[in-house]
Amino acid sequence: MSQAPLDSSSPRASCMDLWREKNDRLVRQTKQVTQDSDLLLRQQQLAQDALQGFRELLHSLQGLPAAISALPLELTVICNFITLKASHTQGFTEDQDQDIQHGLERVLEAQKQLGPRLECGLRELWDSVLHASSLLPELLPALHHLAGLQAALWLSTDHLGDLALLLQSLNGSQSGASEDLLLLLKTWSPPAEESDAPLTLQDARGLRDVLLTASALRQGLQELITGSLPRALSSLQEAASGLCSWPVLVQVYTALATCLRKMGSPQRALLYLVAALKGGSVWGPPLLEASRLYQQLGDTAAELKSLELLVDALSVTQNSEAPQLLIEVELLLPRPDPASPLYCGTQSQAKHLLASRCLQTGRAEDAAEHYLDLLALLLDGLEPRFSPLPCPPGPCMPEVFLEAAVALIQANRAQDALTVCEELLSRTSSLLPKMPWLWEDARNVAKEPINCPLWVSATYLLQGQAWVKLGDQKQAVSEYSRCLELLFRATPEDKEQGAASNSDQRCRPDAALQQLRLAALISRGLVWVASGQDTKALQDFLLSVQMCPGNRDASFHLLQTLRRLDRRNEATAFWWRLEAQTKLPPEDATWSLPLYLETCLNWIHPPDRETLLEEFRTSLLEPSDL
Amino acid sequence: MAGAAPRVDCLAGFRCPAGRLAAGRPRVLGLGAEVFLSTGSELVYAYDRQARQPSAVYEFPGQVWHLELLAPRQALYVLCARKGVYFVPLDTPSRSVSHAGGTIEDDELPPGVTAVGPDACLFPDATLCAFTLLDDLLVTMAQGTATWKMQLFERPCPGPDPRPGAQIGEVVFPAGPPSARDPGEPPAMHFLPVLCCVSPPNSRAPQSHLPGPGGFTLQSALFGLLFGADAALLESPVVLCGLPDGQLCCMVLKTLVNLREAPGDPRALVRILHHLEEPVVFIGALRTEPQAQEAVGQGLLGEDTHANCVVALGHHGRMLAIKASRDEAGNLVPELREYRLPGPILCAACGGGGHVYHGTPSDLCVVDLAQGIAPEDRTQSGLPPLLCPASLSICSIVALSVSPGAPEEDTELLVLSARGRLMACHLARDPVAACPARMTAAQAGQKIRDLLSGIGSISERVFSLKKAVDQRNQALMCLHEALDVSCALLSRQGSPKPIACSTTITWSRQGLREELTATCRLENRGAHSLGPGWTWCLQVLSSAHAFELDTAGTTTTYTVPVHQLAPGAWREVTLSLGSGEDGTPELPVTVSCALFYSVREVVRGALAPPGSTEDPHCKACPPDLLPTRDGICLPLGEHTVDLLQCLRFPGLAAPGTQATRPTAPTADPVDTFLGACREQGSEPVGPTALRAKYLPPSVASARVSVELLRAALENVYTGVPLCCATLQWLLAENAVVDVVRARALSSVQGVAPDGADIRLSVHEVALTDLCPAGPIQAMEIQVESASLADVCRTHHAVIGRIQTMVVERAARGSSPPDLRVQCLRQMHTNHEALLREVQALRDRLSLEDEASSRTTAEQLLQVYQQLRSPSLVLL
Repeated sequence: MSQAPLDSSSPRASCMDLWREKNDRLVRQTKQVTQDSDLLLRQQQLAQDALQGFRELLHSLQGLPAAISALPLELTVICNFITLKASHTQGFTEDQDQDIQHGLERVLEAQKQLGPRLECGLRELWDSVLHASSLLPELLPALHHLAGLQAALWLSTDHLGDLALLLQSLNGSQSGASEDLLLLLKTWSPPAEESDAPLTLQDARGLRDVLLTASALRQGLQELITGSLPRALSSLQEAASGLCSWPVLVQVYTALATCLRKMGSPQRALLYLVAALKGGSVWGPPLLEASRLYQQLGDTAAELKSLELLVDALSVTQNSEAPQLLIEVELLLPRPDPASPLYCGTQSQAKHLLASRCLQTGRAEDAAEHYLDLLALLLDGLEPRFSPLPCPPGPCMPEVFLEAAVALIQANRAQDALTVCEELLSRTSSLLPKMPWLWEDARNVAKEPINCPLWVSATYLLQGQAWVKLGDQKQAVSEYSRCLELLFRATPEDKEQGAASNSDQRCRPDAALQQLRLAALISRGLVWVASGQDTKALQDFLLSVQMCPGNRDASFHLLQTLRRLDRRNEATAFWWRLEAQTKLPPEDATWSLPLYLETCLNWIHPPDRETLLEEFRTSLLEPSDL
Repeated sequence: MAGAAPRVDCLAGFRCPAGRLAAGRPRVLGLGAEVFLSTGSELVYAYDRQARQPSAVYEFPGQVWHLELLAPRQALYVLCARKGVYFVPLDTPSRSVSHAGGTIEDDELPPGVTAVGPDACLFPDATLCAFTLLDDLLVTMAQGTATWKMQLFERPCPGPDPRPGAQIGEVVFPAGPPSARDPGEPPAMHFLPVLCCVSPPNSRAPQSHLPGPGGFTLQSALFGLLFGADAALLESPVVLCGLPDGQLCCMVLKTLVNLREAPGDPRALVRILHHLEEPVVFIGALRTEPQAQEAVGQGLLGEDTHANCVVALGHHGRMLAIKASRDEAGNLVPELREYRLPGPILCAACGGGGHVYHGTPSDLCVVDLAQGIAPEDRTQSGLPPLLCPASLSICSIVALSVSPGAPEEDTELLVLSARGRLMACHLARDPVAACPARMTAAQAGQKIRDLLSGIGSISERVFSLKKAVDQRNQALMCLHEALDVSCALLSRQGSPKPIACSTTITWSRQGLREELTATCRLENRGAHSLGPGWTWCLQVLSSAHAFELDTAGTTTTYTVPVHQLAPGAWREVTLSLGSGEDGTPELPVTVSCALFYSVREVVRGALAPPGSTEDPHCKACPPDLLPTRDGICLPLGEHTVDLLQCLRFPGLAAPGTQATRPTAPTADPVDTFLGACREQGSEPVGPTALRAKYLPPSVASARVSVELLRAALENVYTGVPLCCATLQWLLAENAVVDVVRARALSSVQGVAPDGADIRLSVHEVALTDLCPAGPIQAMEIQVESASLADVCRTHHAVIGRIQTMVVERAARGSSPPDLRVQCLRQMHTNHEALLREVQALRDRLSLEDEASSRTTAEQLLQVYQQLRSPSLVLL
């Protein structure tokens, strides 16, 4: 009701002095906290206390009607508050948007310009504030500082259009000028704070430098992902030339290496990687990048060595060092997602990558060891550090088990493979025969019910293979039969599904199911062959050929058996049919099968198939010509 | 069935803030002979049941929101509101202050109270709102703006220097919109998320992930069904989380990683199991089948002892139960069933034998999820289609826990009532066995004690019911009185209204300027007092500016709550009528009064369940019981303030009382000074003075026949000349009327609110050519002022009064004298011509440009002046 102004200015001045002192004290206290970081916990508490102090101070300041004389202090306190809050909680939230907005409204209110603009956005608010305050030089340093924080906020939330416009207004240039963020940031020079200004946690110029590095790195990463490599290179070099901490520099170098690798200069990429590895405490991303580089160069030994080092590097728990209570470049970077070159995953993901690469490159013993380590890490490790779910191309847990079993069989450790298979069966037995998922999205509904029988039957297949290795053919046949039983029991329902979605023939689980049946039939046939029961073997091979008419492995085994049984006419007839089929364009097998299945299919693949087929041609056809 | 009356043992009473305890925050945990409890205040008590007294009291720096006990290590984890998670070791043999790490002695505290200092805070985070323990892990839930953040920490090693555990994983996921069940709920109502740890079955290392006190181990089929193959294969513990928006979601802990290293996709990490559509208050699990006796006997914790049913309860009474069952094809499918229990549910716990205990404000009930399951047919175990809550006859329970005990013993519940009483409640497993036929002396003593406790708990129930009845009576009484008042006010009969509202106009000095104020007086002449719920509404409607032809005036509404107005009492409110920028009112102003009665305000308090005033978790009655209309409005009357009431007469003021001429409202001290200077000079030069000099004053008049006036005024103004009586009548509502009467004036010179002079005179004239019978004596009321606007307003006010008088007179039935019709018709046509001219001029005025509009305006002024001095007389 009483709108009478405070008459005497002396108590107000002293009040302002008091608040200003409080601000300075809090800033000094926070900086002190950052320096002696012996006790992390204590530090967190002190930071929280300081945050509370700033909040109270802000409340006191904003309790008074806005006045130009008090605004520099008020804006500085807002800046300090936002800086501390964002760095303490390691991120920006909507609250900070509101803090800035309130601050700006107070600036307008002090100049009696707060009209019906209330409902307009933050962008328009900044425009009117900068327009209104251009004649108030005493406000400019604090306003530029606040604008820097707004820029950081918009950068971290990807409001780049707003950010460019804000920087244009700050630079005083007209709209339509350069839209290049980096250029705008470089030309922006925040006015220097006066020596008697209230203390700040981070000055505007420092903030500008951080923004410049962060936006260059962001832009470079973005261009790297979208594939505009030359522009990415220049942006990243810009980022590397800025002032930044070692961990950030390591990221920049790694991204540069990725960029150069993709541009086809592996040697320059290597130089950057070496520089990155020399420098910092963060080895993950450069090591992963090095392994990719060596893979591209074809240097398998070096590639696997890099991956081993990566596993070691990720096993070191990063001691949670005290965060600097400043806006830093890391705070403004996007969270690394799997598409980013800076994403290196967790230790177990790296271990899995190493093991599967070993399996793929034929180093079965190493692969087996690595898979066993991985399983130990996942199951017995106290620290749960596996994240199989988030990346859909990665394998899920049952597949990791199956890959491990495959690697063990490949490495002639059939007994161990049996143990792994039993473990898998014991843990999924309660979920058989099917595991419908009621509350999940469509992706999982499609995935889980088909995959669960798939995994279990693949386990039986591997058990059979292990028994073959151990020489127990009876056991092997029974395992293969269980596998086939399960696979064919799943058939009718899957056929319905297939009919329903005929267009989607190359659906992955379907293909995998088909191939799995093929592998099981041929494997069982081979066991029959080995035990001399050729007629039974013939049945299985015939079935497999019926199922996959074009498959050359199946055809080969069928031909071989027919010849052994001396059924020349059938063999010749089948041969002609096969010849006719090979004239047709080959079925393009673009689907990717799971790694364990590919390895299984390799087992039934005779190494000298084509030469043997050629031999057939001569042996089968020549007598008929006679 | 545990429907038999329980044996209740009152253990102790604890201080409870402001009468009753709110639900949601208090916790009770039993550990052997010790009970740990928090009442939602800053204190956590450790109560020794053998000694029957508290053994320790801990004071925390903030309100205690959650409490977890780590039994094997004897430590207490406490979540303080807006502070973080604290750790207090319970060093049983010598629980002294020095041993308690991070606790400090405070001399001011009463003995036995240990203050827990900031050093004991392990996870300082102001946004934390829930946590749970899982042997060596700690799961916290923090609330951000529209997001939830779940973090997974290694449990810090307790010791003299507790360090925060390393963070293992973190996931941030968006919070859903708040459940829109009850729009009337106050926003301050705040539910916390509920966390619950689920351990996988047949864990290889049984010691590594023991479920914490709030956790449980699930049967493998249900575990795999709910959480997926990965969780089952990894044998990962899972956290179930019930959110205030009603979502029930789960996170597989082994898939959580640090956000910094490799952030996970929250949609993949956080899986929504169900949406309860009301705040989740409890998550638990139980076994719906009797345990195999041999397994129990051997103490084996096999698959048969794991829980096979997950239960979640919502605040409004919705209950969800999930079990694994097989469909016709033999496939495993989850069986979900929702039940409705009478809400609001304040607390709940799962007991043995498929029992779920839940406390509502009026009762503690138990439902049996194992009902209808034959022990021999354990494979076909569905969920019962319907649940019948059985009452245990204990009311107002805000916290509840089932004491872990041997399964063959009676179930013991530890409950905390809303009045801070800790009770142990024994439920007989077998009602027959619970009633021994013959009693020993000790048994009799026990029985008496039980009865006394029973009486205690019944009296508590009576207390709360009585309070509710009183509240409703009160509300009914209020409604009755309101109805009486409304009937009396709305009835149109001539009986005097019980509530009257009158308005008087005064000039008062407000700072430098004088202001016109209306004083409204509400008087209760009835027999009932006006209580809470009544509001007095005053609406001030000022007319539009004279030059804004078509706009409506501004309306200001004031509402004054009538807290208590006893019979015979009155209340006054003074309103400023100055609506213009300079504080001059836009006359005429209409002040209308009304009374508003808010039914909702009165009824809401009474329909709420007992204790809900302090307890935000007790929901008020279903919103459809509340009246949809907000209340009733009773008009009291209207008062029009016109210029005649606002005139001031400095010349007539009694010497000494109002010596100075009132300054115009806009008067600035400088202007006053300049004016004074000018007056000393020879020539007045101000615009007013100029106008007075060069512009002839506007005049308006009205003529009323003497007969009419005499008839109307003779009762009131006897013995006074008629012209004086007329003036007194016109100024009856002005303060100056006394002076006018005393001096018998027939003309006065006054000042209008905007400072212009107005002259008002009454004199007698004779009209000759109107009536064939002879001249008619009439009174001419003449208004004269330099300000045209004021002339118009005054004229309008005078005509208004005469109109009222004529209408009253016509009602009484009087005959006017004969008139010469020709003459009347002539006048009528004259006037009609004038009106047409006015209309034409106005239209032209709005179309024309500056130069020609001036002449038009002059013409218009002339026509107006002709209209204001009519030859017509009112008879």
